[in-house]
Amino acid sequence: MSELFSYVCLGVGIVFSFWGTSHLLQRRSVFFKLHSLSVADTLGSMAILFGLLLNRPSEWPLLLLAIICLAIWNTMLGYVLAYCSSGNGKND
Amino acid sequence: MIGYLNLILRLVIWFLLTANLSVPNIIIGVTIALLLPHSHKVRGSLTDWLRALWGTIVAIPQAYMEAVEIIFRPHNFEEVTMEQVQPNRPPGLVFLDIFLITFTPKSIVLKYHEENGGYEVHWVRRRKKV
Repeated sequence: MSELFSYVCLGVGIVFSFWGTSHLLQRRSVFFKLHSLSVADTLGSMAILFGLLLNRPSEWPLLLLAIICLAIWNTMLGYVLAYCSSGNGKND
Repeated sequence: MIGYLNLILRLVIWFLLTANLSVPNIIIGVTIALLLPHSHKVRGSLTDWLRALWGTIVAIPQAYMEAVEIIFRPHNFEEVTMEQVQPNRPPGLVFLDIFLITFTPKSIVLKYHEENGGYEVHWVRRRKKV
């Protein structure tokens, strides 16, 4: 049961990643692409790591740390990109 | 009290990183967590912090729901709004607020206006607002 759920998570993560990354090729604003990339990178990769966590429970401390780092870094770098692209920052 | 939250966060990261609950490792972890620099005056009330931390947990299922929504119902319109918060919020809470808003796929913080306490948020919407 847990193995099935782990493969479902891996599948969902891969679908999210491909869907979000496909938007990079469109002619849209940087912000619109960032919204899709947060689906792909943050949520997609988190789903893949969660699937791995269910598949390899013995490695749970490192995988959990990876999920936390991924969530924080992806989100903050998304904010940094949005801040720099909005053109109203003092340091851009 | 909020200082303890900081300490707990450091210890959690230490134990996840080392994956070792032996007595020497616990002593090293606690020593490092206490020795690392920290600010002595932590601002913001405990309820504010607990509310923000609870929001972080709730944000995960919400983010996945929003992601599924964006995938199946294309959100093609963009909008920028101002979300008001109390001015002069402590930096830690501002970080958590920005994290929470940006973590969900439909919204991204563009800028925090410190002087009047507001976040400039970029949204994707399904329909154009009139």
